[in-house]
Amino acid sequence: MTNKRILIIDDERDIRQATQICLEVSGDWEVLTAASGREGLVKAATEHPDAILLDVMMPDMDGLTTLSNLQANPTTQHIPVILLTAKAQAAEQRYFMQLGVAAVITKPYDPFTLSDQVVQALARELGNG
Amino acid sequence: MIPTNDSLPNHPGSGSEQIYAGEVLLHRMMNRIRQSLQLPEILSDTVTEVRLFLQTDRVMVYRFDSDGSGEVVAESVAQQRLPPLIGQHFPSEDIPLQARELFLRARQRSIVDVVGQTIGLSPLNSDSDESIPTNDIRFQPVDPCHIEYLTSMGVLSSLVIPILHRHQLWGLLVSHHSQPRQVSQRELQVVQLVSDELSIAIAQCTLLEQTRTQAFQEATINRVAFQLHSMTEMHLQQALELTVSALGGAGGRIYIAPQAPKQEALVYVCGEWGMGDRGEIEELPSWQEWLNTSGNGGEAGIFSDLQQVAIPEELDVIFASLHMRGLLVIKLQYRQHFLGYLSVFRRAVDVETIWARRPDANDPRHQLPIISFEKWREIKKAQAQVWTDTEIELSRSLGSQFAMAIHQYQLYQQVNSLNADLQRDIQERILAEEKISALNAKLEERVQERTAQLQTANTSLQRLSRQHELILNSAGEGIYGLDRQGKITFINPAAAKMLGYGVKELTEQYMHVIVNHSQPNATSYTWEQNPIHSTLERGTIQYISNDIFYRRDGSKFPIEYVSTPIREQGEIVGAVVIFKDITERQMIERMKDEFISIVSHELRTPLTSIRSALGLLARGSLKNDSQKSQRMLEIAFDNTNRLVRLINDILDIERINSGKATMHCIPCNAADLMNQAGDEMRAMAEKAEINLHVTPLSVQLTVDADRIIQTLTNLLNNAIKFAPPGSTVWLSAEVENPEKPEQPEGEELPVIHDLFPSILFKIKDHGRGIPEDMLETIFDRFQQVDGSNSRYSGGTGLGLAICRSIVQQHGGKIWAESTLGEGSTFYFTLPLGTND
Repeated sequence: MTNKRILIIDDERDIRQATQICLEVSGDWEVLTAASGREGLVKAATEHPDAILLDVMMPDMDGLTTLSNLQANPTTQHIPVILLTAKAQAAEQRYFMQLGVAAVITKPYDPFTLSDQVVQALARELGNG
Repeated sequence: MIPTNDSLPNHPGSGSEQIYAGEVLLHRMMNRIRQSLQLPEILSDTVTEVRLFLQTDRVMVYRFDSDGSGEVVAESVAQQRLPPLIGQHFPSEDIPLQARELFLRARQRSIVDVVGQTIGLSPLNSDSDESIPTNDIRFQPVDPCHIEYLTSMGVLSSLVIPILHRHQLWGLLVSHHSQPRQVSQRELQVVQLVSDELSIAIAQCTLLEQTRTQAFQEATINRVAFQLHSMTEMHLQQALELTVSALGGAGGRIYIAPQAPKQEALVYVCGEWGMGDRGEIEELPSWQEWLNTSGNGGEAGIFSDLQQVAIPEELDVIFASLHMRGLLVIKLQYRQHFLGYLSVFRRAVDVETIWARRPDANDPRHQLPIISFEKWREIKKAQAQVWTDTEIELSRSLGSQFAMAIHQYQLYQQVNSLNADLQRDIQERILAEEKISALNAKLEERVQERTAQLQTANTSLQRLSRQHELILNSAGEGIYGLDRQGKITFINPAAAKMLGYGVKELTEQYMHVIVNHSQPNATSYTWEQNPIHSTLERGTIQYISNDIFYRRDGSKFPIEYVSTPIREQGEIVGAVVIFKDITERQMIERMKDEFISIVSHELRTPLTSIRSALGLLARGSLKNDSQKSQRMLEIAFDNTNRLVRLINDILDIERINSGKATMHCIPCNAADLMNQAGDEMRAMAEKAEINLHVTPLSVQLTVDADRIIQTLTNLLNNAIKFAPPGSTVWLSAEVENPEKPEQPEGEELPVIHDLFPSILFKIKDHGRGIPEDMLETIFDRFQQVDGSNSRYSGGTGLGLAICRSIVQQHGGKIWAESTLGEGSTFYFTLPLGTND
């Protein structure tokens, strides 16, 4: 059984690296990274990851625009997206949940449970699908 | 007096003498009658003259009474040749009715010759032909009784001529002679003419007497009327006494019946006829009844002799006690209105009559010839006196005077009583008016007091009202009052202004409709849903935020309001609503939310890296991989630094903006500041392969040197971060003088501090440039043209915001100019002050 592949899209290099290592060491994840929305869209379409971990606040193309592009592209629209956001207010969280994402995880996430949260979200998504 | 002339020729038989004497007699008689109106005098003169003319022994005038008897009322006797008969009465039998009728109807004259036993009769009015008077004398035998009668009187010849008055036999003119004597036609004719003259005289005297009586009556009536009418006070007593006296009464009374139920009768008495034991006689039931049956039709009761009429016992007792014999009662009434009675009574009188002989019908001698004329005196005691027609007439006249006077008096009394009532009324009214006046005065006093109180209260009220008005007008919040239906009863200017109306336009309008009161999501409330409706209906106080009001122009604004019920005596009569426009607050809140959101993001981002890195290290997941471990440590350290910078910047900008971070301005040289900043950034520039070129300008200025260096390093940091490697970043400065003419045309007028010289710093790079629409916003917090590079360069997103705050605190300006793809230049000025 091959490892599941996950694409991390975040403009913060430190976060990308820390999250990648975090997912790699805690689970059987093959991690892809993209430093911007545009890069993320390309990698999602070409690499066909099993899941996408998407930052909301990014310069140039922000997370929500990236999300709608992913959902609009037939080759990427089936990929479950987990939003990773520093916007912690409840209203924002509720808003994000309506956008058809698998989960919303608030920064700073718990590195010990991040992998589990992703797995559970995917399982929920699978069950719903 | 008429001279008695016995020497005048008086022999009968000498015709020419007789004629002459007759003419003389007639002439004198006429003169007498013309000269006198006194009948006794005329009669006395007549008998004397006639006796002288006839030369007989006696000539007398005999007057008949109503009962047929008669009296000698005048007599002339010659030398006592015959006994005097003057004043003597003769019974009616002496001249029987037939003889009296002959005297009247035929005007029969009789001449008796006792010696010749003949009687000569000469009717003046013949039965066959009355129109032709004649002096023919027919002689015939005389009745022996007649002869005896005359003889017994001592008369041998007699002549009797009737005296008529108003077709009645008034009396007789009689001549007696003690010797036989013939009477010639001429004598008869003369004496007849004398009798005729007497008739005239009697008529005149009677008329005179009547006139006198009438005058007396009128005088009496006048006197009584004077007493009754002359004064305001009715002198009834005097009038009654006059009346009683005029009627020859012994006493009398006036009874005035009571005019009202509770009044008493008024009674005036003359001559002891007072009130009986049983009250006023006029009030006895028998009185009225008796008058009705025995009186003359109820109008008057005329009783000449009370012994001749039937009298009820109770009246009779009273009458008897007063020795009453005749009574005259006049019913006093005025136009059928009964007023009372006027009563006059008489007592009995004694009457003396001298008879020539005793007229006794029972005397057997009565039928016999009368042989004696012995004078006989008769005295009748306790005789009634007849009320004569004159007296009755007088009493009626007086009665009507009394009635009129009493009626008038009663009217006067009524008027007086009315007047008295009126006066009492007026008095009472005056009293009442005085009371009312007093009350009015008190009332006025009270009113004045109350007015003063009211004025004080009003002044207070006005002051209060003005205060309220001022408060309402000055209040920034909108305040309005509603009635139970939701109509505006008052609204303050702030409320009207917020809604775009005038105060007057809104009064009486339905507020709910005017403002289209809507929920926060812009859905209109129905009136029943409106929270203010619930205040009006249930009295609940509503605190509501974020509802929406619409202005007159259709624009809307969010409001916050409190609606409170207005109660009067427990009843809800309306509501007062205080509202305010919360647009600005909402905006600030939104900005705050955004700021918090950004700060949250900015803080969480480094924390995420730190937490992940430290988490991996802490778990020991990387203990076999030293390279990754090292990297994680670096990430943790770098992000910790970033966090510290961020927190410092946030605190810094807050302190500068709030004025808590004061600028410690000291004199320094701009060149020093520029060099220090350049030195500080040189390492970073070299690292980024940027050529940093500083051109210091030596100008003295008074600033907070540290803050200006911070500003310069921030701007240099920015420029270095965004400049491509190998390019140059320039820092230079120049002094700007407002007098300098190189200020470009069309630029807006310089603000005040531009009038003074200032230093202008320039930081120029050849970076990517900034879009024009972002040239302003880059100075806002956490605004970056492209955040990705700043993160690598350790920017916090607050650098430019801090720079702007510092420059503004120094009274300077900061701005940027840029061309995309060519680069940007940041400028800021600092005032140099006037001393430089």
